[in-house]
Amino acid sequence: MFRLAIKNLTQNKTRLIVSVGGLGLALTLVLFFGAIFDGAMSRLTVYIDNAGADVWVSQDGVRTMHMSASFLPASVTDEVERVPGVKEAVPVLYATDMIQANGKEYISYVFGVPDNAPLGRPGGIVEGAAMPGPGEVIIDHSIAASAGLKVGDEVAVLGQQMKIAGFTSDTSSLVSSVSVVRFEDFAKARGGNQAISFVLVKVSPGESPAVVASRISDSVSGVTVQTRQQFASQERKLVKDMSADIINIMNIAGFLTGLAVVALTVYIATIARRKEYGVLKAMGVRNRLLYLVVLTQALLSVALGLAAGVAITLLLSGLIPRFNESMVLTLSFGSLLRVAVVSVFIAGLAALLPARQLAGLEPVAIIRRG
Amino acid sequence: MSLVGLSAGPAPRLALQNLLQDKLRLVLSVVGIALAVMLILFLLGLRAGVFERAKAYLANTPGSVAVLPQGVKSSLAAGSGEYLAAGTAETIARTPGVARTIPVLEARAMPEFHGKKESVLLIGYDPALGGGAWDLAEGREPAADNEIVLDRVLADRHNFAVGDTFEISGLALKVVGLSNGTSSLSGSYVFVRKSLVEKLVLSPGAVSAVLVTASPVTAPEDLATALRQSLPGANVLLKSQVMANDQEIMAGIIDQIIVLMVGAAFIVGALVVGLVLYTATIERRSEYGILKAIGARGGVLYRVTISQAFAAAGLGVLTGIGFAYLMGWLVETFKPQFPVSIEPSAIAITVGAGLLMAMLGALVPARTVVSLAPAEVFRR
Repeated sequence: MFRLAIKNLTQNKTRLIVSVGGLGLALTLVLFFGAIFDGAMSRLTVYIDNAGADVWVSQDGVRTMHMSASFLPASVTDEVERVPGVKEAVPVLYATDMIQANGKEYISYVFGVPDNAPLGRPGGIVEGAAMPGPGEVIIDHSIAASAGLKVGDEVAVLGQQMKIAGFTSDTSSLVSSVSVVRFEDFAKARGGNQAISFVLVKVSPGESPAVVASRISDSVSGVTVQTRQQFASQERKLVKDMSADIINIMNIAGFLTGLAVVALTVYIATIARRKEYGVLKAMGVRNRLLYLVVLTQALLSVALGLAAGVAITLLLSGLIPRFNESMVLTLSFGSLLRVAVVSVFIAGLAALLPARQLAGLEPVAIIRRG
Repeated sequence: MSLVGLSAGPAPRLALQNLLQDKLRLVLSVVGIALAVMLILFLLGLRAGVFERAKAYLANTPGSVAVLPQGVKSSLAAGSGEYLAAGTAETIARTPGVARTIPVLEARAMPEFHGKKESVLLIGYDPALGGGAWDLAEGREPAADNEIVLDRVLADRHNFAVGDTFEISGLALKVVGLSNGTSSLSGSYVFVRKSLVEKLVLSPGAVSAVLVTASPVTAPEDLATALRQSLPGANVLLKSQVMANDQEIMAGIIDQIIVLMVGAAFIVGALVVGLVLYTATIERRSEYGILKAIGARGGVLYRVTISQAFAAAGLGVLTGIGFAYLMGWLVETFKPQFPVSIEPSAIAITVGAGLLMAMLGALVPARTVVSLAPAEVFRR
């Protein structure tokens, strides 16, 4: 039965390649979209993960950084510093800004970090200084690659012309990247506003970040306090919540297209072998066995299509970042498993039509028709 | 029958017969092409919808000139804490040729309702000057600092009604109105009094942008030039330019994805056309062989194949356009935060893509037909 299914599928190699290619691309649509969001997710918390803070303090009710704004009175830093278990408390400024360079604009999360601060410094420096000096900025290498910039060039950040002091890597995603300027430059660009955005906290050795976070929450009013893990998890949740619906819509469209391609492939392969199926029926082979042959064909087509889809997605994951550093594609196991499970259902559905054709097959009539 | 005469009439008929010999296969192939076309058109519609909503506030708020903080060229960075210098709004109002000014203060927030995070852009405005919701579906404008006008889609998703309490950034606000056309892929607009946002961002008197209406006798371009001279620390642009900048930035983000996905959908469509034609051609190989044996030229057989391709792709494209409208309607009905705007230009692109799909899909089958050796076919 398995051999018959393979023979049916491979009787015409061109048809097989075309159908596997079609299905592979339809599944690529699903995998690709998921990979973009998984890739963005992997870059989303880079700054939070690498800033060195165990605890993040933000404005009351503000639990995220992405597409959010946090405003705290500058005095909060001192209040946090006095809480037992706090080793370091560093105020940082944060804004979503447009970096302008060579006529292009790039969305960036700009952080203002005090000079010599033990926390909040840019991580993953690939070129230039580790911290920006006065009037300087550290930006992600993806912006430099896109705009043709080098260390020492000028870009507009927060409405000010600033000199590039260095480049970080792997902080950019499809929607933004991380840039760091000096706290004083940021405050000046904001027009001397005394508000800060976050307080980054390092806990004393032996202290639990969760316990210290709870203490800060109890002693300082008007703030939301989260451990690094909680803050990063809220960020991931945000992207998940915002992208879930659109991913579902794309999945439905991709899966439906894939379903049509598999149904067409299996149907064509079955109809082309109609005569042989008629002979099998005339010889007493039961419908159930013929259904199994068709289902096996559908499963094989889907397996090949899925393999093609995965291969194309992996190829794109390797190729795209070479041309666009900020577009990272990550093919997660969860996404692959989900697509594989749905593909099995697709195979089952796609086998229904040809199976119905086989059930209605009249052996003698088919043989007579030739 | 003269086979020279096959070129005009019988070629399309033969093509149609070939396609119709198996109706179920034709239906499956039309559906396959239609789904690929639908995906292309839907993605383009989604893109247009995103652009439309990204510009919605500016498009619907009076004013032809926008005064923004220095270095700010688009409204997408609004709400991130960059403000105009104190007294800017007053300077603008005093400038000759200014008929109306609308100062707004924006702030982004990410509240969570029913376990789901929602991106909102708080528009702080003075109801006496304008700049609030342009299409109030229900209720009224905020009259006090503890009142808010919510986007209707956001309210529906989380069962908020006029009179309910909405919590944001640690504040409990009373919902006094619901607005239409204020939701998008990237979040929803909510409207509050400017004085409330000033408290939230700890900046009394702060202004993110001023929208300026020129007097009837002043050209917006002239007013922009005059304002640039009187406001050296601000960025003065025509509102249309800010909207164009917004679209350009959004395009920079989403076009990378859209182009790749449209490309993949296009290839899927071409492969479906190719698959169907190839099968139809192989099945009728002996008939083609006979035609060749009795003198049919390659051009005639090409035309048969191409006619089939165009017929299948044409049906697929038409069905796909219908599917796209259906999908757009379904998405807008059940997920109204994703506006889908199917524009005539997108339909034209899709029809062009469908024709190209047909041409590409017909390549291999056409070559197969033309390279058929008549005697070989009979021998098989």
